[in-house]
Amino acid sequence: MPRRPDEDDDLDDDFDEEEEDLEEEEDRGRGNKRRRSDFIDDAAEEDDDEEEEEEDDDEDYTGNSRKSSSHKNKKRSGSQFFELEAAVDTDEEEEEEEGEDDFIVDGGAELQEEDDGRRIHRRPLIPQYEDQEDMEEIERNIRKRYFARADHGDYDEETTDVEQQALLPSVKDPKLWMVKCAIGHEREAAVCLMQKSIDKGSELQIRSAIALDHLKNYIYVEADKEAHVKEACKGLRNIYSAKVMLVPIKEMTDVLSVESKAIDLSRDTWVRMKMGNYKGDLAKVVDVDNVRQRVTVKLIPRIDLQALANKLDGKEVVKKKVVPVQRFMNIAEARKLHIRVERRRDPSTGDYFENIGGMMFKDGFLFKTVAMKSISTQNIQPTFDELEKFRKPEEDGGDIASFSTLFANRKKGHFMKGDAVIVVKGDLKNLMGWVEKVEEENVYIIPKMKDLPKTLAVNEKDLCKYFKIGDHVKVVSGAREGATGMVVKVDGAVLIIVSDSTKEDIRVFADHVVESSEVTTGVTRIGDYELHDLVLLDNGFGVIIRVESEAFQVLKGNTERPEVAVVKLREIKSKLDKRNSAEDRDKNIISVKDSVRIVEGPCRGKQGPVEHIYRRVLFINDRHHLEHAGYICAKAQSCKVVGGSRSNGDRNGHSSDRYPLRATPQVPPSPRRPPRGGPPTDFGGRHRGGRGHDSRVGSTIKIRIGPFKGYRGRVKDINGQTARVELESQMKVVTVNLNQISDNVAISTPYREAPRYGLGSETPMHPSRTPLHPYMTPLRDPGATPIHDGMRTPMRDRAWNPYAPMSPARDNWEDGNPGSWGSSPQYQPGTPPARPYEAPTPGSGWANTPGGNYNDAGTPRDSSPTYGSAPSPYLPSTPGGQPMTPGSTSYLPGTPGGQPMTPDSGGLDAMSPALGGDGEGPWFLPDILVNIRRSGEDPVVGVVRDVLPDGSCKVSFGSTGETLTIQPNEMEIVKPRKSDKIKIMSGGQRGATGKLIGIDGTDGIVKVDDTLDVKILDMVILAKLAQ
Amino acid sequence: MFFHIVLERNMQLHPRHFGPHLRDKLVAKLMKDVEGTCSGRHGFVVAITGVDSIGKGRIRDGTGFVTFPVKYQCVVFRPFKGEILEAVVTMVNKMGFFAEAGPVQIFVSNHLIPDDMEFQSGDVPNYTTSDGSVKIIKDSEVRLKIIGTRVDATEIFCIGTIKDDFLGVINDPGAAS
Repeated sequence: MPRRPDEDDDLDDDFDEEEEDLEEEEDRGRGNKRRRSDFIDDAAEEDDDEEEEEEDDDEDYTGNSRKSSSHKNKKRSGSQFFELEAAVDTDEEEEEEEGEDDFIVDGGAELQEEDDGRRIHRRPLIPQYEDQEDMEEIERNIRKRYFARADHGDYDEETTDVEQQALLPSVKDPKLWMVKCAIGHEREAAVCLMQKSIDKGSELQIRSAIALDHLKNYIYVEADKEAHVKEACKGLRNIYSAKVMLVPIKEMTDVLSVESKAIDLSRDTWVRMKMGNYKGDLAKVVDVDNVRQRVTVKLIPRIDLQALANKLDGKEVVKKKVVPVQRFMNIAEARKLHIRVERRRDPSTGDYFENIGGMMFKDGFLFKTVAMKSISTQNIQPTFDELEKFRKPEEDGGDIASFSTLFANRKKGHFMKGDAVIVVKGDLKNLMGWVEKVEEENVYIIPKMKDLPKTLAVNEKDLCKYFKIGDHVKVVSGAREGATGMVVKVDGAVLIIVSDSTKEDIRVFADHVVESSEVTTGVTRIGDYELHDLVLLDNGFGVIIRVESEAFQVLKGNTERPEVAVVKLREIKSKLDKRNSAEDRDKNIISVKDSVRIVEGPCRGKQGPVEHIYRRVLFINDRHHLEHAGYICAKAQSCKVVGGSRSNGDRNGHSSDRYPLRATPQVPPSPRRPPRGGPPTDFGGRHRGGRGHDSRVGSTIKIRIGPFKGYRGRVKDINGQTARVELESQMKVVTVNLNQISDNVAISTPYREAPRYGLGSETPMHPSRTPLHPYMTPLRDPGATPIHDGMRTPMRDRAWNPYAPMSPARDNWEDGNPGSWGSSPQYQPGTPPARPYEAPTPGSGWANTPGGNYNDAGTPRDSSPTYGSAPSPYLPSTPGGQPMTPGSTSYLPGTPGGQPMTPDSGGLDAMSPALGGDGEGPWFLPDILVNIRRSGEDPVVGVVRDVLPDGSCKVSFGSTGETLTIQPNEMEIVKPRKSDKIKIMSGGQRGATGKLIGIDGTDGIVKVDDTLDVKILDMVILAKLAQ
Repeated sequence: MFFHIVLERNMQLHPRHFGPHLRDKLVAKLMKDVEGTCSGRHGFVVAITGVDSIGKGRIRDGTGFVTFPVKYQCVVFRPFKGEILEAVVTMVNKMGFFAEAGPVQIFVSNHLIPDDMEFQSGDVPNYTTSDGSVKIIKDSEVRLKIIGTRVDATEIFCIGTIKDDFLGVINDPGAAS
C-alpha cells in the first residue's frame, strides 16, 4: 500500500484520522508523488543533465548528494520535508533510501524551523549532544546506564546454564506479538511506534517494537496484552493491527537470536548477478553499503552502443531479445555514435568515471549499484576465462588479492595437516608455513620464519595453499579434476602445471590441487573407458588420447592425417579390447607391443610399439611424438616390424612366443578340419570339456545373445571379456562378449580344436596362469629337461606339457631325449590319423587345451612305470581315440565335457589310477562328496578325507563309517545341486568353497565364501561338499 | 647423478642353457634384462660393470626354470631435483621443449624458459631471443636444472628449467657443424 504523503503530518496531530478520508488522500498522494518525481527530474536536469529515469531499479551512482541538495533547497518546512519523505517512500526502493538520507542530513539543519512537536520527535533520534548542554550530566547518565549493564554483563559471563535459563522469558514476562505491516516498511513501522511511544509517554503500554531485517511484512511488538498492541498500532498507517499474533514463549528467544547466515560481502569479492541482462555474469564487488543492502559491482558491460545511442536520441527502441555480448565500453566508439559521455569525479572515491546515459564506466567496466538480493555470493567459482577478462584492462593489479576472495567459497576440510600454506591477507601476508591443526574457520599454522610463535591461528580465508615449482600435484576440483602434473610456474594463486598424461600446460588454482605423491599418469577414466583405450565410435574407431571432465579426445583411425574428435561417453559404442594382428608390408605379422617403424605416409620415420591394432590400422605410441599423447595412427601396410621383435620378446617371454606361433599355424588349418565332425570329435569335445578359464579357447560354443545368436563356433581367442569365435556356419571370425557365450555345446566340440589353439597363439601362454598346471610339475621331473629343448621351437608352451609326447613337436626335441619319448613311437602307430595335423602344429594344441594337458600329463606318468599302456592315454587326444566313448560312461557323473579330470580318467581306465593324483596333482580335494563305483558294487557315496600323493584318496563312507583308500578312477565327484555347498575343483579358485546359488545350463552360479563374489563356473569343476 | 652400486636380482634361466656356458648365458641375459631398465629407486641402469656372485640355482616348480640369485655391479643414473644436467634438445614446440640426457627425458616448459626467448613456429620450431643471438632448436645442447621428477615404474620423467644463471644453450648444432 502506497504511503500517502500527507499522512505523516496527520499522524502527529491527529491519530484518529478517519478511514474514509483515505481514498481521497490516496488520490492526493498520487498527485504528490507525480509532482515530486517531476520535481526531481527537473532538478536533476537543471543540475547536470545526468539524472534520468532508470529503466531498471538501479540507483544512480552519484545521485544522492545532488538530490539531497536539491531537496534541501526546495524544502522549507518540516511538514514539507515529511511530505517529501513520504512521497519518496511511495516511490521505488532506492528513492526511499534517498529519503532517509535527507531525513538525517536535513534534520539537523532544519531543526530550528520545526515546530515544537517536531522538535520533540527529533531529539531522541539526534542525540542531544548537539545542544552542548550539560555534557557532564549526560556522561554521568550514560555511565550509570551502561556501567550498570556492563557489570551485569560480567556477571552474565560467569553465569551458569541454570542462571541463563532463568533469563528466558516466562509466562510472567510481557509477550511478544507479531503484527503485520506494509512490506518493505518494517523498520519504518517500528520507528513510528517508537516515535509514538515517545510522544505519548506512558500512555502507550507496549514495551518495545522490533523489526527484523530478514522478516518481511511483520514486526514484533512486546506488550503484556494484545489490546495494548492494538492500541499502540491504532492510526499507524503502516501497521495492520487487525491481525496480531502471539509468539509462543518458546519461540521468543529465536526471534531475537542473531541470524548467523549473514553474508560476508566485502570488497573484491566475486559475485554473480542474479537477474537482468547480466544474469549469470561475474562481477566484482567494489563497494558495499550494508545499511542500505546495496552493493556496487564492477561488470563487463553488455551494451549495444547503437541501441543506446538510439535511445538517448529519443528514438524508439525496439526491445531486443538478444542480450548483447560482453564487451568493454569503448568511450571513443561511444562518442562516434554521438553518445554523450560525461567525465566526472566520484566525490567519495575521487575516481573519475565516464558517465553515459546514467551508467558509470571506468576502464571499460560498468559500475553498477544493485541490491544485495540481486547478486549471488555463494559458491562463486570464476572460470579462468572470466578472470582473464577482468584482469586484462587493469593489467595485473591486485592479483592475489582478487584471487583471495575466491577462497571464501571453498569447501570444508580444505586444509589438511602438513599442507604448505601462505598467508594472503592481513598483517602476516606472504608468511609461509605449514598447517598444524584445523579448527572450524581457524587454521593453526607453523610459520616458516623463525622468531615467530610456534603456531599461529589464521583465518582459513586468509590462507592459500602454497606450491613450489617442481611439486607434483593432483587437481582435486574444478574443470581439470583428476589430472596430475608437475608445477612449472606459480603465479600467485594460480599454478601452471604440466600434465603427466598430455604434457600440456594446465592452469589451475592452487586451491584446487593437492600435493600428490601419486605418480600415476593421472586419473584418466570415465566409465569403462580409460586413457589409451581403443574404442569403437559411432563412426569409426580410435584411441582415447585425452580424458576431459566429460568427454574424451579420441585420435581416430584415420591414416591419412591425424584426426582428433571429441566424443562424449555415450558416443562410444564399446571398447575394442582384443588382440588383433596385422601384416606389415613385408607380410610379417604385427601384433600388439611389437615395435614397428612407419615407412610411408605422413608419419614416416616414426617408430614405436604398437598399442592397438584394428582393421589393419595400427596405433603406435611413439614417445617422441608429442601430439595426441604420442599416438600415431598408421596403416599396417605402411609399417615395418622392427627386426628385434622376436628377440625382444624373449626377454619378456610374451611377444616372441606369439610371433613365431603365428607364422606357423598358417598352414595347419586345413589338416585340422577333416577330423572335425567325425566321431572322434564328440569324444574330443568331452575331452576338452574340462576347460578351466583359459581352456575355453578352442572349445565349441554357442552364442547366446547378440547378432550372432544361435551360431555355433569355436573360440579362437579369449581376451579379457571378449572372445573371438570362428563361426561354424560362416567362414568368419566374430568377436563376442564372453557373457554372450554359452559353452555347453562342448559335446560337439571337434576334437581337433587342440591344434587350433596354436592359432590363438596368445592363449597357449595362459596355462601358466591356470592353477592346474602347477600340478603337472611332479610329472615333469622325469623328462622335464629334454622337453625344454622344445622351447626353442616357437612353442614355449611345450614346456608345459612336456608330456604331450605325441605332439608333433617331438621332431624338434626328440634329439634331446629320444629315449624319454619312447612312448611316442607307440603313440604314433596307435593313432595314425593324429599325425597329419599334429605335425603342423607342434604341440601347440596340447599346450592350449588343458584337457590335453591332463591327458598328456597322465600319460607320462603311466608310461614310465608301464610304458606299454602309454598309448591309451593318447587315445583321447587323437581322433582315433574313439575308445573313449565307452569310457565315458564311467565318468558320466561328471558332466560331460565339463571335467578335465573325469574324461581323462575314463579314457585312461587302464592305467588311470595315477591319473588323478598325477595329472592334476590332487584333483580331488578333501571334504568333497564322491560316488564310489567299484565293479560289481553299487555306487556308494563317500567323503574324501585325504588325498594321497599317488592320487588315491582316503574316503570315508557315511553309512559304514569305514575309511578306504580308493583309486581316483573309481570315484566321481557328486554333482552339486542348487544351494548345495560346493568346492571348486579347478581354476583359479581351486579349493575355495562356496554355495551353488543357481544352475544355468552347464554353468553353475556360485557364491564364493571367502570373497562373497558371485561367479559363474562350469558345473564340472564344482563338487558337492560334505556337510 | 651416476652411481656405481651393487644390485641383486633373481635370474630365471631356461634349462636349455645349462652347460659349460651357463655363467656366460646368465650374464648375457642379465645384461639384456637389466641394462636400460629403470626403477624408481635407483634410476636407470646404464651398464653392468661386473658380476659379483651367482648363487645357487633353484629349480622352480612347474616350469623347470632355474632361479639364480645374481649380485652385480652396475652404473645407474638417477636424476634428482635441483641437479644440473646437460641435455640434447629433441623436440621444440610451443609448450616448451624436450631434451634428453641419456635415458632421461626432460621437459622444459615455456614458463621455465627465460622470458626474452620467444617461440618461433615454422619449419624449425625454436625459441629465440629477441636479438636472435641465442636459439634453441632441435639438437641444441642445453644446460638445465631439474626442478621436478616423476618416477614411473618404467620411466623417469623430469621437468627442467633454463631460467636461471648459467643455464641455457651451451652448444648450437649449427655452430658445431
